[in-house]
Amino acid sequence: MRKVPYVDLVRQHAPLKKDILAAVEHVLDRGDFILGEDVEKFETRLADYCGTKYAVGLNSGTDALFLVMKVYGIGEGDEVITAPNSFLASASTIVAVGATPVFADVRDDLNIDPDEIKKKITSKTKAIMPVHLAGRPADMEPICELAKAHNLKIIEDAAQAIGAEYHGVKTGALGDAGCFSLHPLKTLNGCGDGGAVTTNDEALRDTLLQYRNIGLKSRNESELWGFNSRLDSIQAAILNVKFDQLEKWTERRIANAARYRERLGSTVRCPETANGTRSVYHTFVILTERRDALKIFLEKNGVGSSIHYPIPIHLQKAAKRFGGKAGDFPVTETNAGQMLSLPVHQDLNDEDIDYVADKVKEFFAN
Amino acid sequence: MKVPFSYLDRQFALSAPGEDATLTDNIFDDLKKFVASGDFTLGKSLVEFEKKFAKHEGTKHALGVNSGTDALFLSLKGLGIAPGDEVITCAETFIATAGSIAQTGATPVFVDANDEFTIDVEKIEAAITPKTKAIMPVWYTGNAPELDRVLDIAKAKNLKVIEDSCCAIDGEYKGKKAGSIGDAGGFSFHPLKNLNVWSDGGMITTNSDELAAQITLLRNHGFKNRDEVEVFGYNSRLDTFQAVVALRMIGDVAAVTDRRIAAARRYDQSFADMEGFIEVPKRSTHIRHVFHLYMLRVKNRDALLSHLQKNGVEAKIHYPIPLPYQKACAHLGYKKGDFPKTERDCDSIITLPAHAHLTEEEISYTIETVRGFYSK
Repeated sequence: MRKVPYVDLVRQHAPLKKDILAAVEHVLDRGDFILGEDVEKFETRLADYCGTKYAVGLNSGTDALFLVMKVYGIGEGDEVITAPNSFLASASTIVAVGATPVFADVRDDLNIDPDEIKKKITSKTKAIMPVHLAGRPADMEPICELAKAHNLKIIEDAAQAIGAEYHGVKTGALGDAGCFSLHPLKTLNGCGDGGAVTTNDEALRDTLLQYRNIGLKSRNESELWGFNSRLDSIQAAILNVKFDQLEKWTERRIANAARYRERLGSTVRCPETANGTRSVYHTFVILTERRDALKIFLEKNGVGSSIHYPIPIHLQKAAKRFGGKAGDFPVTETNAGQMLSLPVHQDLNDEDIDYVADKVKEFFAN
Repeated sequence: MKVPFSYLDRQFALSAPGEDATLTDNIFDDLKKFVASGDFTLGKSLVEFEKKFAKHEGTKHALGVNSGTDALFLSLKGLGIAPGDEVITCAETFIATAGSIAQTGATPVFVDANDEFTIDVEKIEAAITPKTKAIMPVWYTGNAPELDRVLDIAKAKNLKVIEDSCCAIDGEYKGKKAGSIGDAGGFSFHPLKNLNVWSDGGMITTNSDELAAQITLLRNHGFKNRDEVEVFGYNSRLDTFQAVVALRMIGDVAAVTDRRIAAARRYDQSFADMEGFIEVPKRSTHIRHVFHLYMLRVKNRDALLSHLQKNGVEAKIHYPIPLPYQKACAHLGYKKGDFPKTERDCDSIITLPAHAHLTEEEISYTIETVRGFYSK
């Protein structure tokens, strides 16, 4: 039986191993383990790629969201609007800075609905955090208009969306700050945690540089209370090796998605790429009422699949004190029971995709 | 002669007796397997390292986190420290000690140091208010604070004790290892530490099952399992990559420490007769001081520093500005004169290279260069 794992870091790293270890050795030779040459190189590269003036390497995508809000002075008593169907970190970072996450329901494309955002804006709202879920850019034009009209910051949660585009502009360059994750399960992935912020805002960048390095202005002087959240030089070196492959990998993911759509479009609800956008398919999420049975069927046939995510954030135990209840976000809640992510990563070949598609068809034929 | 402060190149080039493979070779062998394994987040090697670390420090639990700073921060969070609370710590320390307290929203309350660069336990009680929730004694330079006294005070006032053991792996106080004495201990594996990985890294030690469970949640987004979130948490995991590196080093920690102590003894003895110029801090027999930093108080410090640097001895100052007088602390309202010992130290301390990879000749040269300065 063919095996199509949902994630296959072993397959991804086999051809890269030599280059990765050589890059690690360079760091070792220089001994610049903390904020070294490779971090700067990575930052320049990421900023160029996204089309922003600056990029700052941090310890994780979570810290990217957290530190941006810190710099913007978002805290106790403030509200930040985000999507309830995202990975937990979108909301948990809002809680971590002391603010209140306010959720706005999503559209059928799993991305935050600007009309719902509009209803949630109050005098306490300080920022909107659209999530480019699954690698698909959120509908940014109306979101930017709302932000402008209400004087709100836009903090893009672009953790799943490196390389995605909205009317020719890359994610990470669409708001005041773009927050990326470089976690092993991301398309551009370190061999450990990592994250980054992209921005054109020089003041944001300058303060982030201090915040990530314990508030130090120089070795001996600290001007503000900071954090320890530096992108490891070693991870930056590894990411620089992988950056060369990013476009190729992204194109492969897009091709895999197109192949699924072609084969499954008439069988099950498949994600579409909206006009004027580039969707990078961090995940390929289909929607079906028979989700749980399909997942088990695929598993039996050697196909790994995943659910991103089965419990909406407002219904998590951790979120209880914010008073969310079932029924608050109908689209999110319905989707949570129907979503299934099929394997779409760049190390799958056409035969893998066809095998998965055939199995899905076989399931629905019965 | 050059006497370097950093030892990384020497450490990596080292081979075990009778072996050709260097430490670096061995680590790269392990990394080859690691990179191919894809086991990058909270992986098998991390669990193995945590077990070995807990055993080494004599605690029930050890949990890898992203940095020493985060080790302190998450310990405080796990123990329930929150905005409005006060945490007492030593005025003479690295910024991150107080930074971790500020990060929780609590207020750092400083107490002056004693003559051995650790918190003056006689001054702690006067700093306690109804808002005080914890004491964070610092094993600064690798030396133990008077922890019996700290624990007595904490017990009487119902306060938590978090040991800032970032400088003190393998340190001991009355036969007990650093990080095993208070409610929690925070360690750093930063490249300049006695156990050093190839990036940031940290560890929390504790004997409390409850705190360990809480930190396990807090370091990984609050996840109880893949899909269920118990509490809102953070992302602060020790990279498994770095655990692979650390596993090759933890077995040597005691030997590395012994070499540092031997270097320190030589310095101590050589400067014992230089009263008036050099003050060697008192050494206590009930403490295993691991000399992460070998610090002396000296006369005419700035001139000595440039004399040493000019002659190839890479001496340093940890640190020239008292922490309470940093701009970041301005809102706390401290003023010059509040911490006389810390102020005195900041003007008179110097750190000599004392790492495990110095030769006897280099130590002799450092001693001669220091003595030469004062015999001019």
